[in-house]
Amino acid sequence: MQATETEEKACCRPADCRLVMLLESSIGKKIMVALAGLFLSFFLLVHLAGNLFMFSGAGAFNHYASALAHNELLPVAEIGLVVLFLVHIALATRAWFINRAARPVGYQVYAGKGGRTAGSRSMAVTGALVLVFLLVHLKTFRFAPAAVREADLFALVVRRFRSPWYSAFYVLALGGLGLHLSHGVQSAFQTLGLNHPRYTPLIKKLGLAFAVLIALGFMSMPIYFGFLGGAK
Amino acid sequence: MADKNEQTMNLTLKVWRQKGPQEPGRLVEYKVTGVSPDMSFLEMLDVLNEQLVSRGEDAVAFDHDCREGICGMCSLMIDGRAHGPDSAATTCQLHMRRYKDGDTVVIEPFRAKGFPVVKDLVVDRSAFDRIMMAGGFVSVGTGAACDANSILVPKEKADKAMDAAACIGCGACVAACPNAAAMLFVAAKVSQYALLPQGQAERDRRALAMRKAMDAEGFGHCTNEYECEAACPKEIKVSNIARLNREFLRAAVSAD
Repeated sequence: MQATETEEKACCRPADCRLVMLLESSIGKKIMVALAGLFLSFFLLVHLAGNLFMFSGAGAFNHYASALAHNELLPVAEIGLVVLFLVHIALATRAWFINRAARPVGYQVYAGKGGRTAGSRSMAVTGALVLVFLLVHLKTFRFAPAAVREADLFALVVRRFRSPWYSAFYVLALGGLGLHLSHGVQSAFQTLGLNHPRYTPLIKKLGLAFAVLIALGFMSMPIYFGFLGGAK
Repeated sequence: MADKNEQTMNLTLKVWRQKGPQEPGRLVEYKVTGVSPDMSFLEMLDVLNEQLVSRGEDAVAFDHDCREGICGMCSLMIDGRAHGPDSAATTCQLHMRRYKDGDTVVIEPFRAKGFPVVKDLVVDRSAFDRIMMAGGFVSVGTGAACDANSILVPKEKADKAMDAAACIGCGACVAACPNAAAMLFVAAKVSQYALLPQGQAERDRRALAMRKAMDAEGFGHCTNEYECEAACPKEIKVSNIARLNREFLRAAVSAD
């Protein structure tokens, strides 16, 4: 019995310690990254659904954009998104540095036995690419001068996509996002402990399908309005 | 043992040589001659060492014990793969028939902050022992042996617990992991008890304590790349890692 009591003291017992543990421990950190990632994936789906109004013309898209901009709950949603992004990026970055430190001397030859995928091995790179994209994207549209945004957001989007470099960057970054999601979505379920021989193969397929849907869905706009001359 | 028609091989080995924990190491090239395809990889290293010693050179230090795939003592990254190219096999179960005359083979130690190099190919894996000491046990009364079937265990649970308990603690999961994470090992050890009635008493404390010990040893974070599962000589499944995640979350949320 004495041994167990010492062990209990070694664990963090106070309730306030548990949150710190969730953010600091290896598994807790991954759980937070996974949760934030899944919420962000849901945001992507909603964002894509709204943006597809672009294909319904200036009227429909501008109406949607104005309704969204004047929704009183938008600031709440935006703050929520900022928090999700910060948690996801900060904890994943911290984990990345710890993981590099976990093998101070690398292998001269490292081949692996086929566990890794293109998505899984490039998570840090695609994550960084998506972050750069996010900053450019926010600067162009979310933080465009209010007058320009409110006058005709549709025209602003089309104008930006007419720049081949801008559209090419979008396509590249969205490809990166797709790769990121191809590992991230199914991986989040594993991190949350959801693994079962019956449904894990399905989760993997749906995760991949989701990644393709999101990447192609968002890419369709710079491709259509930028390269195919849509809305001329 | 040797077939009379057997062809022996000559190989070029690039072996990590390091005199001690603090010494710098490097790959050194050796020619090893007269290797029989019937030899195991470790026997091939024995031959190399005989040839080195006969030339008055220092033998290559490497870990080994049972040489039948059950003790978890042998290690080695062979051409960048933990325990070599075969699946579900330890280095001692790898045979030289996998190679052909003239091949070049790169041999490095398992690498992780938690597995410091002792000498050459020998690494210190006592980090695993310390993780086990943190919670990899069940406390039982040690009186007279109780009736064998007094505690019922469902067959499915017993099978899964046995699959997890097949872990020999060799550390190939850490060596193969791009992040040098020890999650598959800890997951196997947590699972083998979490699945059984005997493991329930310390269930929460075990998950929290073993996670803590794992992180304290400097192992990385799991990013679900599943190189561990591919490298595991005992085919421990990553579904155990999901179970460890559940056990940790459950304990973090609900333990007293």
